[in-house]
Amino acid sequence: MKTRIKELRKERKLSQEELALAVGTTRQTITSIEVGKYTASLVLAYKIAHYFGLTIEDVFDFSEEDEF
Amino acid sequence: MMEKFRKTVKRRIAISSGMTLVSLVLGAFNIYSIIFSDHSTATHSDGFVAGFQFGLIISIFGFSLFDIVKLSLAINDETKLKILYNKENDERMKTIRSKAGMPLIAITSVLMIIAAIVAGYFNIVVFYTLVIAVAAQLSVSAMVKLYCMKTM
Repeated sequence: MKTRIKELRKERKLSQEELALAVGTTRQTITSIEVGKYTASLVLAYKIAHYFGLTIEDVFDFSEEDEF
Repeated sequence: MMEKFRKTVKRRIAISSGMTLVSLVLGAFNIYSIIFSDHSTATHSDGFVAGFQFGLIISIFGFSLFDIVKLSLAINDETKLKILYNKENDERMKTIRSKAGMPLIAITSVLMIIAAIVAGYFNIVVFYTLVIAVAAQLSVSAMVKLYCMKTM
């Protein structure tokens, strides 16, 4: 899944480590989410979006996901 | 939440300290047994089982000591404690561990090692079989974990 996390981090001059610490995860997980290897759970997605003051849809791109 | 985790870490330090002490006593007893045992009646298998036990005790001692140092460093530093908490409760790592069969593989491995040591006194073939089986299941688990860490 595509995300805007890297872009949002760069805007705020935030390292992966700092973001991970703030949202209660590890730097490796942030890396995996950024490169699209791992899809965050709803809780983690909410925490990340909330940290940037945005909604989940603003941070995570669901357009390529299968429609139900 | 962090206060609860701090208590858990303190309890784990106490457990590791106990393990270090027990392994130290067992290690000393093992060395004593090796030095003062009757070597004339000892078989090659006896030596192997004793050596395996000693290696296991040394490993437990080493891991416990490492755990004490790691946890003690974390408990005195709020950021390190938070990083440790995040690492242990990270959802991606939980998924990877679960795919690698943890914690069931670890539990069965410990039980099989205990069984192997007990069986070693009666039948050396059973001892070798159990040790090889533990090594095999731990290797498979480690490979799955490494694969998942690369792909997830």
